[in-house]
This record gives sequence, structure tokens and C-alpha cells, in this order.
Amino acid sequence: MVQASSVEIRKVNKFYGPFQALKDIDLSVPPGKVTCLIGPSGSGKSTLLRCINFLEEYDSGEVRIDGQLIGYEAPGGRRMRARKLREMRRSIGMVFQQFNLWPHMTAQENVAEGLIRVRGLPRAEAADRAVEALRKVGLGDKMANHPARLSGGQQQRVAIARAIAMEPRLMLFDEPTSALDPELVGEVLNVMKTLAGEGMTMVVVTHEMGFAAHVADQVAFMEAGELVAVDAPARILHQPEDPRIQGFLRTYHERNAF
Amino acid sequence: MFSIETFFGSFGPLFWAARYTLLVSGLGIALGLVIGAFICAAGLSRWTVAQRFAAIWVSFLRGVPLLVQLLLMYYLLPVIGINVPAIAAAVITVGICASAYISEIWRGAIGALPRGQSEAAIAMGMDPRNVWTRIVLPQAVVLSLPALVNELILLVKASSLVSVVGILEVTRASQAHAATTFRPLEVYLAAACIYLLINLCLAGLGRYLEHRTAV
Repeated sequence: MVQASSVEIRKVNKFYGPFQALKDIDLSVPPGKVTCLIGPSGSGKSTLLRCINFLEEYDSGEVRIDGQLIGYEAPGGRRMRARKLREMRRSIGMVFQQFNLWPHMTAQENVAEGLIRVRGLPRAEAADRAVEALRKVGLGDKMANHPARLSGGQQQRVAIARAIAMEPRLMLFDEPTSALDPELVGEVLNVMKTLAGEGMTMVVVTHEMGFAAHVADQVAFMEAGELVAVDAPARILHQPEDPRIQGFLRTYHERNAF
Repeated sequence: MFSIETFFGSFGPLFWAARYTLLVSGLGIALGLVIGAFICAAGLSRWTVAQRFAAIWVSFLRGVPLLVQLLLMYYLLPVIGINVPAIAAAVITVGICASAYISEIWRGAIGALPRGQSEAAIAMGMDPRNVWTRIVLPQAVVLSLPALVNELILLVKASSLVSVVGILEVTRASQAHAATTFRPLEVYLAAACIYLLINLCLAGLGRYLEHRTAV
């Protein structure tokens, strides 16, 4: 079992100039649970996710990881010191839609880099742990490949290995399968399921309703910067009360019907 | 009549003069790479004064012909009490001029990197120094190679301009040699061959480096 973090989001607001991207968001992510964020594009799902590791700076409200505020010294206070922020980010893994692997490094080097530069492990140990992490995502035979020599699904699994090798207590996934060919989605979702089964706290922005239905402990629906509803997957996906959710799911089903 | 003897006979003195062509363009680009890195860093910094300085540096040096810059430097240095040999003045001027173009090449290469590249590193808690040295710069240098080779080739050709401050490089040597042999066509053709030879070597080196760094 991994050590798992909790996330508390309270009254978070985010503006881009006059445009309000997040409106008074409240969300609790319990430790060891999987929370899926769904909703139409531009609804603020990714922005909210990126506020959790402060890649995106929220303007007001609180985001707490295991009770500790991230990004600011105090609510509404000064920005947190860069060193302190880096320290907090070490225990938060992130997986991006575009993988963001470093193309000038092999798969193994991609995974080992953070262990060496951030965790300060000796090269040999970092290399061993990288191998271990790559085996875990089923890529033990691709260690020497550069990202350009890997399929999209393999690249995303390397990116997951890169994150879990750092032994995070929380994993953020920003549409991890949206850039993949349909036949490659499954291999990535399987790795994520395994991770969820090990008790990792996960926040996943996704359009994979199947994953949300079967793996998530709670599903949050967002639209136009608002968090419309948070509930058990079945209640959001099968008996939604809010017309906005009904509308979103109708479009989703129409698009996927054939 | 085309004199084959004069054509081949010109290569001796011109090769000798090519030392200066290589010296001025080689040291010039080396200096340009170093100053260019600082100017690029200044342009990308959050400090407005540094940004402003970099912008002025680039626009002045790109806006004034190298020939004029050489003459300015040559006559300016003694006025402010600095007495350096003409060759040093030439190298410094070429280097400073190149730095303006090189800083822009690097700024472009860094800007061409997807934001996600550094974001992935920042998200795991990497410090800015490592983000630059391990993630951004290695990729930016590779991306900038074709443009840097281009710049180096331009510099080799531009080094003919340093003849105005009395340096006996290939162009000036060929003028002198043409005047003594009364065979300008043969001599300048030989000079053209030498420039071409140098630049073909540089282009080859560039391709080799691109191939080596390709992933």
C-alpha cells in the first residue's frame, strides 16, 4: 500500500483577466480514493487539476494537501517560497495529455532524471528504480528507447512510470488518454487501474466515462467554471438530476453510438 | 585567355591569408555564442532593465551594417584610450555583431520548445537550474544547430569585410594578388573556391552534429 494524501479544495477562484475560469470550487479528495473530473471542454477541469500542484495559480480560496496549504504562506497571503513549493510538489505526481516526455532522453533516463535531480539518488540506484518502475508499467523491454521510438500508449506509460518512481502520495492525471489512438487507450487505463488498486489517491480529468464508472470512487461534474455536482459514479453517470449533466451525457452517448 | 597557372598559383598566398578568415570568423562566432547566451538570458529574464538592454543591443547591432560597425570600432577604441591590434578590434566587432543574431536564434529555439517540457520537470519539484541545464538547453541547442551553422557560414563570408581595417584575409589578399599578377579573374575564382571549401566543410560539420544529436 502506498502512503496516500488527501486534497481539500475550498472556495477556489481563478481569473484570466475578466474571465472567471473557476468559481468558488469546493471539493474533497479522500486519501486512497479515485476522483474523476468530467465535463465539457473549457469547463475548468484541467485548470482545477493544475491548481492542486499550483502549476496554475488560483487567485483566492484554499487548496490543501494533507492539510497543508499549497502555493501561499497563508490563505490570501504571500506566495509560498519556491523551495517549499518544490518540496510539496515532490510528493505529487502528474501525467499530462501530451505525455511531455523529454525527447533527448531514453525511457529509462526520463524516469531516472527526477530521482537524480530532485530526490538526489545516486545514478546507479536511480537507474535500478527506473527499471523497476518501467517493468511495473509493462515496459521493461523498452528502457533504452527514446520517446520517438515508442507508441503513444507506451509513451504515456513511461510518463506514468516517471511519476510513480518518485513515490508520490497523490497522482494527477490531465486527460491521460485524450491524445491516444483508440486502440492504445486500454493499456494506459489498465496501468491506472492497477495504481488505483494499490490505494493511490488519484485525481483524473477524463473523457473516459467507462473508467469513471468502474474505477472512480467519486465523480465531479464541472461546467463553465462551476462544480455542478460531486457524487458516486452511478449517481452522476446513470441518474443525473442536473439538466446540465443530462445534456452532457446525451451528447456523449450520441457521439459514441453507432 | 584563362591562365591555369595563375589560378592554381593563387591558392598558396590565399590559403595563407585564409588563416585570418578562419581566425576572425572562428573567434568571432565563439565570442558571439558566449555574448549571445547572456543577451538571450537578459531578454528572457523578468528584469525589465535587462530586457530593455537586450532589445536595444539586438536592434542596434542588426540595424547597422557590419562594415560600419568595424570602422566605428576601429576609430572609436583609440579615442577612448584603448589601443588594440586591428585583428582584436575585428574579432570583437564580429563577435558582438554575431551575438545579436545568435541571441535571437536561441530565443527562438527556446520559445519553440513546448511548454509541457519544462512543466513536467517543474511539476515533479525540479529546481530552475536543473530545468534549464537538463531539460531546456539540451533541446534548444539541438533545435538551433541549423540556424547556428547558417550564421557561422554568413560570418565566414562577412569576414571579408574586416579587410577595411587592414587585415590581410582572403579577399584583401586576392585583391593584392590580382593587382600584382594582372589576372583578377583567375585570382578571384581561386578566392571563391577557398570560401566555398571552408563553407562546405562547415555545412558538413553541421550535418554531422545534427545527425549525432538526432533522436
